Amino acid sequence: MFLTRSEYDRGVNTFSPEGRLFQVEYAIEAIKLGSTAIAVRTDEGVVMAVEKRVTSPLLEPSSIEKVAEIDEHIGVAMSGLTADARTLIDHGRVETQQHRFTYNEPMPLESVTQSLCDLALRFGEDDNDEGGMSRPFGVALLVAGWDAEGGPVLFHTDPSGTYVKYDAKAIGSGSEGAQTALQESYRKDMTLKEAEVLALSTLKQVMEEKVTATNVDIARVAPKWHLYTPEEVEEVITRL
Amino acid sequence: MAAALPVRAQVPAAGAEVRQHATWSPYDDNGGTVVAVAGDDYCVVAASTRMSTGYSILTRDKTKILRLNPKCVVASAGMQADMETLHKMLHMHHVKYHFNHRKPMSCPATAQLLSNTLYYKRFFPYYTFNLCAGLDEEGRGAVYTYDAIGSYERVGYGCQGSGKELIQPVLDNQLKAASPLVLPQQQWLSSLPLGRPCSHQQTSPALTNLQQWLSSLPLEQAVDLVKGAFVSAGERDIYTGDDVEILVITKEGVRTDRLELKRD
Repeated sequence: MFLTRSEYDRGVNTFSPEGRLFQVEYAIEAIKLGSTAIAVRTDEGVVMAVEKRVTSPLLEPSSIEKVAEIDEHIGVAMSGLTADARTLIDHGRVETQQHRFTYNEPMPLESVTQSLCDLALRFGEDDNDEGGMSRPFGVALLVAGWDAEGGPVLFHTDPSGTYVKYDAKAIGSGSEGAQTALQESYRKDMTLKEAEVLALSTLKQVMEEKVTATNVDIARVAPKWHLYTPEEVEEVITRL
Repeated sequence: MAAALPVRAQVPAAGAEVRQHATWSPYDDNGGTVVAVAGDDYCVVAASTRMSTGYSILTRDKTKILRLNPKCVVASAGMQADMETLHKMLHMHHVKYHFNHRKPMSCPATAQLLSNTLYYKRFFPYYTFNLCAGLDEEGRGAVYTYDAIGSYERVGYGCQGSGKELIQPVLDNQLKAASPLVLPQQQWLSSLPLGRPCSHQQTSPALTNLQQWLSSLPLEQAVDLVKGAFVSAGERDIYTGDDVEILVITKEGVRTDRLELKRD
């Protein structure tokens, strides 16, 4: 009997005969609808730049949060269903604080990323009523941080629970074009200032609106988390 | 006619029946002494190997030092059963940490974990007297000293166990100052403002003083001091004797030495 795709794309824990999990693939598709987020790693730190879609002049731009602090030394940029990211961010914040409580040291970035990905995989578990998940997360994260040993690190995570280390990565609707632009312009020996320009100019290329201090957010981890003020964003824009 | 009042039943005084067990204690003191001295780029950790109960010697060769990794050890005196459990617990956490974070647990991290582990048993404490010692992230000698319920402090040198009262004053005299009244008092580790580990910290005046103090004590002199202290303690303390296991922790690794004490 031949089974169509639609018969296998319902359950989150049923493989299709070709060995695919459609719900996870659809979740990854959901990210491509999200606003673009870019992160660039340098030896001086990691810079994140995200697009905020200000859809109405009555909308308060500062209420759109697409970058968040996990701990002093870790930040994330997100794209996709940002409400799902809240769960992940909360989890990351608890884990990093727990680590500080137990070991009196900042949590290594890969451990945090691994822990976020463990959570992202829990959609397959049975108990959907209490704490269980009915579907995969519809969000991808760029996890940027500074390790006590090893310095600045950047990871990309997706709804399948996979994480990969990157020098520069773009996610969201403009990711394809932005990734190509990053590949052409990224250098290993970039300064943080150059990375700010690279991240923002790449974002500018893929954004429909003109870049202003209100419709982008910039953040860095170098070695501590910092969210740029509108004045600081303005200053980066003048350097483009 | 007044009804006869029932005679009140004789109830034993509270606790009278459990008195027969009142002398039993879940704790036993198996004695032993542990010492650690931090230097600029080394740490000396020593522990006697005798294990006793009362006037009996149970064994002459029981190590009190848990070697977690080449940069961190935990040394415990007190009750052997609790020490064994505590060391097993720390070892287990260390292995899990290694799997989860792909690196050995650092000395400051182990120090915090030991504190938490002890405090977790705040109302039925481990009967152990602990030192955590090794090298910190900058490669300097580190010694952490504890009370039974996890209160801890980073110090330049420390001593715990049955010989503490005999050895600690000697270390104070030799490593700090003959008297707290002597001025200026020597700078030592516990007076350091020790915050979160951060590789971008500037060198503070206190840190400079510490480095001067640390570098003023050569390794050989530290080992001799520890040996001398143990020989003296062995003369007076019946729970300190047989052998002393001495570890010298440097960036090259851990070197072991053994000192024989009186076996009486």
